[in-house]
Amino acid sequence: MFKLLSYLISQGTATAQGFCPPLDDDCLGLPTLTSTSCMGTDCSACANICPTKAIQVLCQAEGSSVTLDRGACIGCSLCIETCPTGTIVKDLSTQTATTKRQDLVLSTTKLRDERPILSNQDRQYIFHKSLAVRVVSTGCSACDLEIGASGNPIFDMERFGVQIVASPRAADALLVTGPVGKGMQEALKRCWEAMSEPRLVIAVGTCSISGGVHKEGYADTNGLEPTLPVDVYIPGCPPHPWSIIYGIALAMKNTKL
Amino acid sequence: MKVKHLEIPLNKRLTSLSSWLADKHQRLGLITSIDGSQLITLVLDPQQGSAQLWESPLSGDEYPSLTPLIPQCHWYERAVWDLFGLYPNGHPRLKQLLLHEVYDPHFHPLRTIARLPEIVSATQRKYEFLKVEGEGVYEVPVGPIHAGIIEPGHFRLSCLGEEILNLEIRLGYLHRGIEKQLSKIPWQKARFLAEAASSDTAAANALAHAQAMESLVQIQAPPKAQYLRSLSLELERIAMHIADLGGMAVDIGYLGMASTLARLRGSALRLADLLTGTRFQRGFILPGGVHKDPDKQLSTIRHETHKLKVSLEPVITLFVENSSAQERMETIGRVSPSLARDFGLVGIAGRASGIAYDTRQHFPQGIFPTHAPPVAVETKGDVSARIKVRITELFNSLALIETLLEEIPAGSVLSCVPDKLPANSIGVGIVEAFRGELIHLVFTGADKAISRYAIKDPSFNNWTGLSIAVRGNLLADFPICNKSFSLSYSGHDL
Repeated sequence: MFKLLSYLISQGTATAQGFCPPLDDDCLGLPTLTSTSCMGTDCSACANICPTKAIQVLCQAEGSSVTLDRGACIGCSLCIETCPTGTIVKDLSTQTATTKRQDLVLSTTKLRDERPILSNQDRQYIFHKSLAVRVVSTGCSACDLEIGASGNPIFDMERFGVQIVASPRAADALLVTGPVGKGMQEALKRCWEAMSEPRLVIAVGTCSISGGVHKEGYADTNGLEPTLPVDVYIPGCPPHPWSIIYGIALAMKNTKL
Repeated sequence: MKVKHLEIPLNKRLTSLSSWLADKHQRLGLITSIDGSQLITLVLDPQQGSAQLWESPLSGDEYPSLTPLIPQCHWYERAVWDLFGLYPNGHPRLKQLLLHEVYDPHFHPLRTIARLPEIVSATQRKYEFLKVEGEGVYEVPVGPIHAGIIEPGHFRLSCLGEEILNLEIRLGYLHRGIEKQLSKIPWQKARFLAEAASSDTAAANALAHAQAMESLVQIQAPPKAQYLRSLSLELERIAMHIADLGGMAVDIGYLGMASTLARLRGSALRLADLLTGTRFQRGFILPGGVHKDPDKQLSTIRHETHKLKVSLEPVITLFVENSSAQERMETIGRVSPSLARDFGLVGIAGRASGIAYDTRQHFPQGIFPTHAPPVAVETKGDVSARIKVRITELFNSLALIETLLEEIPAGSVLSCVPDKLPANSIGVGIVEAFRGELIHLVFTGADKAISRYAIKDPSFNNWTGLSIAVRGNLLADFPICNKSFSLSYSGHDL
């Protein structure tokens, strides 16, 4: 025991400073749109290469022709590489969560709002609130591991007042990962019903937002929304731990609580 | 790799498979069907590094079950019943595996041939757990939603006092219909879904997919890509082995160790991030090679890998030398070598019970014919043996990465991949994922499209190992036994 204690002390502090900084340059992040006009349907390279039909090219007109649904995107970065005009570029921000589904859908006329949704004051607010979170997985475990990583000594989300609890009875928010196939819908609904109100639902990862790569299968794997009302959407496949922490912080700002 | 395609009549399946498995080195790879009009049995010979695919045509919807004599067939036959509506006559405990009551009893998603009208028998989807009876026997139901942050599954523990008499595992909650989708979407985009079979194993799934597709179109990845693929595979193994060791530290209440290992797993994920751009290595390995050339990062990766190795050594020593930690793990959750063989356990669970099988050695692809690390084997088959195998593999992988980075050749990282698949062909990819033997098996039809895509995750074999391991153990030791197998729910449920 003393050996472990002295080892732990010798290692110093592992916890990352700051709050939801952008990812390193070599990461893929998520795509975003710029106002640079593109060739529209004459090109359509991005829409053709996208594995999850997250991009639509609507018309030939200059500019205003591309929509990108970050709630369907798995961050494979193929569209960014294939775009000849720089209309689609890499976005390394981890502050990607939104409270409205339509805010994840960008278009060349409606670019991503870069202003931070959480101001410094909000951060003070977060530090003084707490949120008990129950996690239910219905997916492939990557999102679950990243939620687990959000609680590790590096990201340490407990310092922001977020506590993972073992029972829905003790939870304020339900964090759901995965595309919510037929096999899990009943269990998930019952878990939600066991939570006392007011209660929040957070969709973690592209599968839970839109079904992601599993969309349109026979197992009804089209995301969380057909089963439960969603308050916060955290895109990514899987989202980075900072993105998850940001999404939970966004939920804590919710006036329902 | 190429497989030998043979036709074995239905009445010869039992004798053929029994005599195949009589050689203790030979293995059953998987059992499935293509469209419901035949049974497919993939058998492996690890000594020769060869595989055979036995096709047994069916004339109806029934076939004699092999489970009574070859117990490791039990889950395959249940899955084939669910997905194709083929009835294994004589299966001792037939019940659904993947499709729950919520599905229509006549729904068999992978069956594409019409059902003969005279034998339309509703598949019973109603699930009944095995009842253990006797004075003082009680049941502990756990799940599908668990207390921790893990995937869903149901454990029905029948106990007498503190002792577990029987554990029945019910899965299928995560069934997403991946195999069907893989035959519906354009094959050039299939790799993202193939990875998502179990995303903690994304690199291994992507590699098995790439190998299967490459064996179909008969191309090879360039040498540099082979090195990068192995780097990716071994980094995944390192990250997940550290995560699993950390999970076991949590389960025995060794929390300082758990938080240290969580931190070091972060370093391993950072290496994956440098190599591929994402922590889970999504989209990096693809048919023909790898997605990008991380040349500029290689010296950083080399430096950081060495640092990780140096940081891990004293931590692992603290873990294995802690006598109270050892006491919680020794003799707990034992699987005997004979049962491990009868149930075809693979990966760490198999190697901890004396089965010296590692597909990097036995079905070597890419750089492994010359670089496969030695097979880490233990014989006791308990939690402690599984930990020892993990630790040996962890350091073997770290050493391998250093070698690979020293030797990595220059050149391109992606071969030209043909647009069209050949008609009526078979492709197979066998990869040693961090959990064990992972198989992707692809069939193309006359239309040159994928007609059937089958995935066999190592967990499909090993879940039964967990049921065996916990028998006679204390209920309180269930979590550590479970974690020591580190099984995938999503890889099983597909």
